[in-house]
Amino acid sequence: MKPEYALLIPLLIMGVFLQFTPLLTRRGIFFSATVDPAFPQSSDGRRLLGAYRLQAALWTIAAVGFALLLSSVNLAVMLLLSLLLLIMGSTFSYWLKFREVHEHFGKSARDVRYAELTPPPQQQTFSLSLCAPPFVWLAGVAFYLQSHWYQLPDRFPVHWGVDGQPNGWATRSFQGVYGPLLLAAFMDVFFLGLALAMLRLSRNTAMRHVTVTMTLLIMYPVSFAFGMVGLLPLTTFPMWLIPAVVLGFVAVLIIWAAVKVRSPAAPDVIPEPQSDSYWKAGMFYYNPDDPAIFVSKRVGIGYTMNFANRMSWFVLAGILLIALLPALLLKPK
Amino acid sequence: MTERITLRIDLDSDVPAYRQIVNIIRILLVSGQLLPGAELPSVRRMATDLGVHFNTVAEAYRILADEGWLALRHGKGATVIERKVPEPTPERIEEFQRRLQALAAEMFAHGASPESIGPELWRAWIEFKS
Repeated sequence: MKPEYALLIPLLIMGVFLQFTPLLTRRGIFFSATVDPAFPQSSDGRRLLGAYRLQAALWTIAAVGFALLLSSVNLAVMLLLSLLLLIMGSTFSYWLKFREVHEHFGKSARDVRYAELTPPPQQQTFSLSLCAPPFVWLAGVAFYLQSHWYQLPDRFPVHWGVDGQPNGWATRSFQGVYGPLLLAAFMDVFFLGLALAMLRLSRNTAMRHVTVTMTLLIMYPVSFAFGMVGLLPLTTFPMWLIPAVVLGFVAVLIIWAAVKVRSPAAPDVIPEPQSDSYWKAGMFYYNPDDPAIFVSKRVGIGYTMNFANRMSWFVLAGILLIALLPALLLKPK
Repeated sequence: MTERITLRIDLDSDVPAYRQIVNIIRILLVSGQLLPGAELPSVRRMATDLGVHFNTVAEAYRILADEGWLALRHGKGATVIERKVPEPTPERIEEFQRRLQALAAEMFAHGASPESIGPELWRAWIEFKS
């Protein structure tokens, strides 16, 4: 497959994802606006969803066409600009639908808030049995590599291009052999820290359990992928196995989260605040009085940030810095 | 304190949020749903769950502590403590009279009769006394 065609795959995956975006949210929210839970199934709800989906499909086709036009210039620029076109175009379409739903079909709910006065139940979200396996796997791989050190080749691939050909190499050194494992461990610690921060700086709603669990479970495909890359010099297995397992795991995780979030909330769970007034364009939460830094998203599943809280910007900068750090430190030669 | 108790406030109400928190917790204290020794969440935890400013919850806790219901611990939250019912001062009685006058005027303005709320007032009073 030509590299430019391979680079169209992320665009197409994003295009498919955008078709389902309005449904990937909790009950009673439609295009980020508070509505009656039955509204999405009504004729108006179906009409609005259909119109958005058509526009998102047109933006996807436009982005693919744009990418093919740019493919002769530079592949990285091609991917970046076409993704940008797709995201900005579909965001604009989504915003138009948010305005329509909010103005004509929005539910004028009172701004009612809840809090637990009694101590919260035993926190089941954060258990050692959930957090430990990825680290145990990485330690096991490290031990296996250590015990087979002299069977490792002097030079082996650690990075591959979109065409499946190796483009990054490592030597039989501490960094070369254990680098992928250390990188995975670093990412796992990052996800652990993020999950802990979410527990502390968010409301105790159903979304918190889903988001924290998802953040912890992401450690599994990360550790699996990097562990397998670490084992590559000593074993032979089809390369497609790694992305297939990772993508399959992530897909199952998203489906699980979507089912959890859309199912009726348990009676002992605190409801989310319903007011639309703090949501700018339906996507950005801005409430200077709210001490919560992580708040349930209205587009998709998980958390966004309270952009009125200065602390949110520090946390965001920290997340970006930590996310970029390994890429800067462990860039393959 | 065994059963789960959830606090509910309405930010669109005319009653300020801190006053709503005070009123709800006081009802729970007077009715015995919150007993001495019960731990309330920290100011940070409750403010985060309610999505209101820290000062709103801190003010509510401070009022209840001044009334002798709570012992505040910096950064930890609040504990319900034993409290003797004080003798009402003349100033306090006068304040209740003013509030009742205001409530009566509001009821009159909305066409509600004293009979429509009388039974509820007595029911609550008997429940608190028991």
